[in-house]
Order: sequence, then C-alpha cells, then structure tokens
Amino acid sequence: MATRNQTALFRKYREALRSVRPHVTTSSGAHGGAIELVEAPLLNRGGPRGYNAIGGEDLDAGHHSVGSSTMNLPPGWVDISDQVSADMQQARSKMAELAKAHSRALMPSFDDTSKEERTIELLSQQVTKLLKKCEQKLQQLSRPTGPSEQDANIRKNVQRSLATDLQTLSMDFRKQQKGYLNRLQRQQEGQAVDDGIGLKKQSRTSEDDDFSQSFSNQHLAQLRQNEALSVEREKEINQIVESVNDLAQIMKDLSVLVIDQGTIVDRIDYNITNVATSVEQGVKELVKAEETQKRGGMVTCILVLIVLCAAMLIIYVLKKIIGL
Amino acid sequence: MVLVGAVRDYLNRMLNDIPGMKVLILDAQTVGIVSVAMSQSELLQKEVFLVEKVDAQAKEAMGHLKAVTFLRPTVENIQHLKRHLNSARFGEYHLFFSNIIKKSYIQILADSDEHDLVQQVQEFYADYFAIDPFHFTLDLHANHVSMLPTVVDPHNSQLACDRMLDAIAAVFLSLKKRPVIRYERSSEIARRVAQDAARLMYEQEPGLFDFRRTEVAPLLLVVDRRDDPVTPLLNQWTYQAMVHELLGIQDNRVDLTKLPKVPKDLQEVVLSSQQDAFFKSNMYENFGDLGANIKKLVDEFQLKAKSNQNIQSLEDMVKFVENYPEYRKQHGNVSKHVTMMTELSRIVDERQLMAISQIEQELACNANQAVAFEAVLNLLNNEKSADIDRVRLVMLYALRFERESPQSVEQLISRLGAKTSKHKAGLVKTLLKQAGFDKRTGDLFGNRDLFIKALNMARGLKGVENVYTQHQPLLAQTIESIVRGRLRDIDYPFVGNHFQQGRPQDVVIFMVGGTTYEEARTVHLVNATQTGTRIFLGGTIVQNSASFLNDLEEMQRVQRVERGSFAASM
Repeated sequence: MATRNQTALFRKYREALRSVRPHVTTSSGAHGGAIELVEAPLLNRGGPRGYNAIGGEDLDAGHHSVGSSTMNLPPGWVDISDQVSADMQQARSKMAELAKAHSRALMPSFDDTSKEERTIELLSQQVTKLLKKCEQKLQQLSRPTGPSEQDANIRKNVQRSLATDLQTLSMDFRKQQKGYLNRLQRQQEGQAVDDGIGLKKQSRTSEDDDFSQSFSNQHLAQLRQNEALSVEREKEINQIVESVNDLAQIMKDLSVLVIDQGTIVDRIDYNITNVATSVEQGVKELVKAEETQKRGGMVTCILVLIVLCAAMLIIYVLKKIIGL
Repeated sequence: MVLVGAVRDYLNRMLNDIPGMKVLILDAQTVGIVSVAMSQSELLQKEVFLVEKVDAQAKEAMGHLKAVTFLRPTVENIQHLKRHLNSARFGEYHLFFSNIIKKSYIQILADSDEHDLVQQVQEFYADYFAIDPFHFTLDLHANHVSMLPTVVDPHNSQLACDRMLDAIAAVFLSLKKRPVIRYERSSEIARRVAQDAARLMYEQEPGLFDFRRTEVAPLLLVVDRRDDPVTPLLNQWTYQAMVHELLGIQDNRVDLTKLPKVPKDLQEVVLSSQQDAFFKSNMYENFGDLGANIKKLVDEFQLKAKSNQNIQSLEDMVKFVENYPEYRKQHGNVSKHVTMMTELSRIVDERQLMAISQIEQELACNANQAVAFEAVLNLLNNEKSADIDRVRLVMLYALRFERESPQSVEQLISRLGAKTSKHKAGLVKTLLKQAGFDKRTGDLFGNRDLFIKALNMARGLKGVENVYTQHQPLLAQTIESIVRGRLRDIDYPFVGNHFQQGRPQDVVIFMVGGTTYEEARTVHLVNATQTGTRIFLGGTIVQNSASFLNDLEEMQRVQRVERGSFAASM
C-alpha cells in the first residue's frame, strides 16, 4: 500500500511556470485578454470551490455576482437531495430518542405511564412522517428538469444512493418498532396471567368470606383500571401495526430504486458501457425522430398548399363564372 | 483478500478524503481495475455520482462536482487531462495515477492548469486487475506478442513489456516489498521483463522501493506460458476454471447472450469471489460436488420461498416485507448458479467432454503411447467431435510423444489436416516449434528426472481419486521447489547480484503469456495449507484453450506476414 504524493512537485512546477508566463505575455504584448482570463478565477480562489452544504447559497451568490463562474451554481435538485439527507439525519436522531423512550416505557413502574406512551406515539409518528417525506422527495428527484443526459444520470445515482440509505434506515426503524411491539405483547400476556391468578384467588376468597364485600369492591376497581389499561395498550399496538404497514409501502417503493448488489447492474464497467450505448441509441433515435418530424411537417405543408390551391382555383373559376 | 483488498484500500483512500459530490474519471484499463474490486453501490456510498471515461466527449460544465481521476500514466491520458484542465469542466481536479509518472508529464499538466483546478497529484499503485485475492491479470490486448521474437514487432513488444513491468512494480509497491528476481532460463521475454524489473527497482527508483527488509527477501519469479503449454489445452472440471473454459470469464463477468434459452436478466452475470459467498466457497469444487451444493442451495431457497408463500397473519406479512430484499437477492443468486450449471452440463453432453477429457488427462499424466494413439485416432475419425477438440488432442499427443515417436505424431497431424484444415494442422507444428521439448525448462511430463519418474510410477500404482482432475500443472512442481528452497539456479537464474537463501515468505510468480484458473486453484490450495509462504500468481491474461489457440494462430499469421515481407525485400 505504498503511495507517492507528487503534489508538491506539481505545485512547484505550476508556480515556476506562473512566474514565467506573464513575461511571455507582456513580451508578445498582444495577449491582454489571456491575462484577464488567468486572473479572473484567481479572484475566486478565496473560498472553497464546489458545493458547500451549509453556506452554499451565499457562496454561490458571491460567485454569481463576480460573474466569472456561473457554472459553479449547482442545479436545483441538489437542494432536494440535501433536504432529504437532513431529514434522514433528523429521523435518525428521533429514532435514538424513541429507543430511549421505549426502554423507559417497558420498565416496570408504578407511576402513570401515559405520558411516556404519548411521547412514544408522537415520536414514532414523527419518524414515520419524516421517512414518508423523504420518500416523496426522492420521487421528485427523478422528475426531469435539465435537458442533459449526464445530469439525469447523476440525479439517478444520487437518488439510488439516498434510496439505499433510506431503505436501511426504515428497516432499522421497523425492527425497533417490532421489537417494542413484541416486548409489549409479552408483557401484556404476562400481566394477563397475573391478573387471572389474582382473580381466581379473589373468587375463592369471596366464596370463603362473605364479609369481604368491601374488599372485593376494591378489587373490582382495580380490575376496571386494568381493563382500561389493556384497551390503551391495544390501541397502542394497533398504531404500531399501522406504522409498520406504512413503512412496508415505503420499502416497496424504494426497492425499485435500490440496486441489487452483486448483479451485473452493480458493475461499474457495465454501467459505463451502458450509458455510452444508451447515449448512442438516444442520438440515433433523435435523428430518426427529427427526420420523421420533418417529413411529416413537409407532407402536411404540401397537402395544405395543394388543398388551398384547389380551393383558390375553384373560387377563381366560380368568380369568373359569376362575373360572366 | 490481499490483492483485492489492496486495490480497495487505494480506492477508499482516494475517495473518502474528498468530501462532497464527486465524479470518477477512468481510462479503458482502470475501469476494469476498479470494477473488479468495487461495486457501483459502494461507489455511490462514497458520493461518487458519475463515472466517466477520460476520452468521453465533453458535455456541459458541472462546477458543483469534484473530479477524481484515476488513470494510467500514458501519453494519451495526459493529453486528455490537458483538455479537461483547459475546459475546466469540473470544479476541482484530484489526479491519481496508477503508476510512476514521469516528471515531464507533471510539467505538462502544471503548464495546462491555468485555472488552478488541480488539488493534488498522487501515485496510487493499483495497476493490475485483482480478479481474486491471490490472482491478478493485465488483460493485455495483443497477448500473442509475447511469443514472438522482439525483432518481429519491436514496438508492440516494447509496449507489452512495459505493461508487464508496470504491473509487477505495482504489485510489489502494494505489498511494500522489494524482491530478488529470478527468471526462466529458456525464455527470452521472461529474461527481459526480469531485467527491466531489476533495473527499475534497484537503479531507477531505489528510494521508492526502499522498504523495511525481511529476513529472507521476497521473490519475483518470471516464467513463460510456453514452459507449460499443456495446462491451457486441457478441459477443466472445477467451477471457475470450467466456466472460463466453456463460457469464458472476462474480468469476473460471464457473457451468456449467445446461449439459447437464457432469461433476459441473466444474459450477463458476475462471478466474483468477493461479492458472492456461494461462488467463493465453490469456485474450486469439482463438477460433481458443485452439483450437489447447488442442489442444497436450491432446497434451502425453496424452504424459504415456501415460508414466504403462506402469508396469513399480519405477523407473516411483516416478516415477509422484512425478508424481502434478502429473498430477492438470494433468488437472483440461485437462478444465476442454476443457469450456469445447466449450461455447463448441456455443453458437456453436447461435446462429449467426459470421454475427451479422459483421454486428455491420460495424455497429460501417464500415457501408454500405443493406447493413446488409438484413442486420439478414434476421436479424430469420430464425425461428432468438434474441431477444437481434435486440434487440442493432437497437440497434447504431439507435445507428449514428440521425441518418443515422431512418426506417429506426423501421422496424426496429417490425419488432422485431412479432417479439419491444413491451417489447423499447421498450428500443431507451430506449437511444437514454440513450446517443444528443446524450448522448455521445466520437467513438464516428469520424465527428465529419474526420481520424479519413479514417483510418478508409484502414484500410478496407487490409483487416482478422480480421473478428470488428476493433472497437476507444472506450476505445482515449481512452487514446491520454491517452498523447499530447491529451485535450481541453473534453470532459474537470479538477476544482478541479489541472491536468496532459505524460503521466501512472499512469492510473486508472473507468467508471461497468461495464467489459467487451474493454476490459480493450485496457488489457492498451497496458500490454504502452507503456513508461512504466500504465493501470488499473475499473468498477461487468463487463458483458456480457445484463447491459447487464438494466440498461436495470431502469432503464426504475424510471422507469415513478416516472412513474406522479408522475402519480398530480398
């Protein structure tokens, strides 16, 4: 894994040549324009070139005002892709929060857990929404905006890479949800068994002791409370199932975009040659289309003219006849 | 994952340090080098959103992308880069070269960089196709050149030698080693490559190759394909070798478009030990075991498919969606290997390769002259046998009994000429001239050394496990001698005054004229069992019988043209 860095040497040569070049141009005298050309990009050298995710707009505006490098302005879809990555980042942090909330909710406690549950509900809804939003934006990316083949190609690749990320993210989220669901169900079952035993005991005691009316009343109240709790839980489970289903839909849409790894489509050389042939194909098709279009236009033009000629002739003849 | 790993490490270092959206610019060779080591989706993860050839026609400017170029340091590439820098199509340029770049080229580039676009210029020595962890190739275009004497085509011969030297240097730079160099005595081109390598490593770039010394220096051995003309002529029965022999593998890709009845999504498939776990564990298995393993794979898959089929509850559905990507991937893989297997067995049946291979193996290993003659003659007269099989068998017979019974060889050649064409019969003679007994160094048939002769007899008495895979390439013998430190100085002399005692830890064997997958398998087996010695195998291309015959034919043609022009000039 040896490497050799020749950048220093390159810079040295470049500097040396730069110190030489102005002499050459001044001596020849006629290359005033050339100097400008060389220097104009030098002005821009201050900031980092290329697209900068955060300060990008200001930077590009600056470039724009200088007017020398409008080419540095990234196309509009870059904003979308940045938004998607930002949203995914947000979803990721929300998921971390959610994981914490899950483990807190599953801890046995005597406090009121409804607050926890509400946060969980809220968080999982937010994550689902974020993922859905990402997915919709991804679909936007493929909308043709630029005329160029290459730009479309890049856009497709960006879309693919984001889709792969999104797929793993939503997969993680689903696993998380499912894990919580399973544990919740298990806990509930356990509780049900506990309750059952409690009830049996209770009935036996009520048979045995007639005077424990007030006691069993108390139990009844507890029972009702338990019931309410289980209804609550059920609702929760349903919600989670719903969000899992939503995610399943996202997965289905994404799987179209994600490349199957290890297949020929995943080969770099295959993609290059494919692009080349598809470009060739495109050019051929375009030429053909142009030809047919031209021919079609010409033919209709001729037809229209002939019809017009005939009509005029008839009108002329009629006029003559009427005139006579 | 040694060689593949090295190329991947280079690429990771190249792409990870540059943040933001990137375009990767490659040339015809580096496209292949990158492709065998890394997949498109991995590139996407590194924010490489466009891959382009350096000679592609310039389209609109895209200043928001950073260009990372990975090119071989050739004149043409420098010209293309110059054009790129002039047009300033991308916002930044990071130049990586796959080998040592000349100072004058750097100067040219510095001169063209008027817009200060170039951020770095580096040499990253990934200048070989790492098709398997211990097997590399060059995909050399005019591979037949290595069989011609230098005077016939000095220009192409020089190009080929330079390319080989580049690859050898790159392999050692990737390994961070400087070897002692030996070559095969009887090959002119092997000597030339070895001497070039020594000059580069010890005289021209001593600083670059100055790595930490190991106790026993690593070894570079340059040998010639013509020293073992038998191996590329044999039918193969292990998975990878067989696919290459019957269908052809190019940079780990198999083209199935010409075959009938292949589903559309499988017209071209990838066979990479890196990405395909099933292939990795079965690439060296023989045909029979392979069939059993594929059956197991299919059964496993069916089980999974069945569990996916009966979806009744919501739970099942959730499980299905979860497993779906994995399921789809496996589906693709299973159908790929099943398709391969069906194609292979169809060809085997069609060409009656079982019977042919048996004769081949007999000829290559321990043949009785009279019996072999009878068998080859029978096959020649059989109307069903294919021309290529006839030619190969006569060649094997000729190589084997060239000295023992020259008149029977003549007889077979004339019979071959009658059955196929004069041209094909001429090829056998060309092969004898190129790789006959007098031209070879190694003991190809194990009949030069009395000791080995006795050993072979003993092996013959013991019987062999599998008739179809009993042949051992000459390389196995060579490796054994190296590992034991008994490679003979007379046959494999050292270059310069760098000698070696003891067993080297790293050995690179470079085969001028191409390697075969059978030899790669041999190397794999040695590496798997031997502790302490790593063997790397490299060659100009990966040969199968078709490409080997093609090279011979091409060489014959060039020589004839040469002789013709020589006669005309007289």
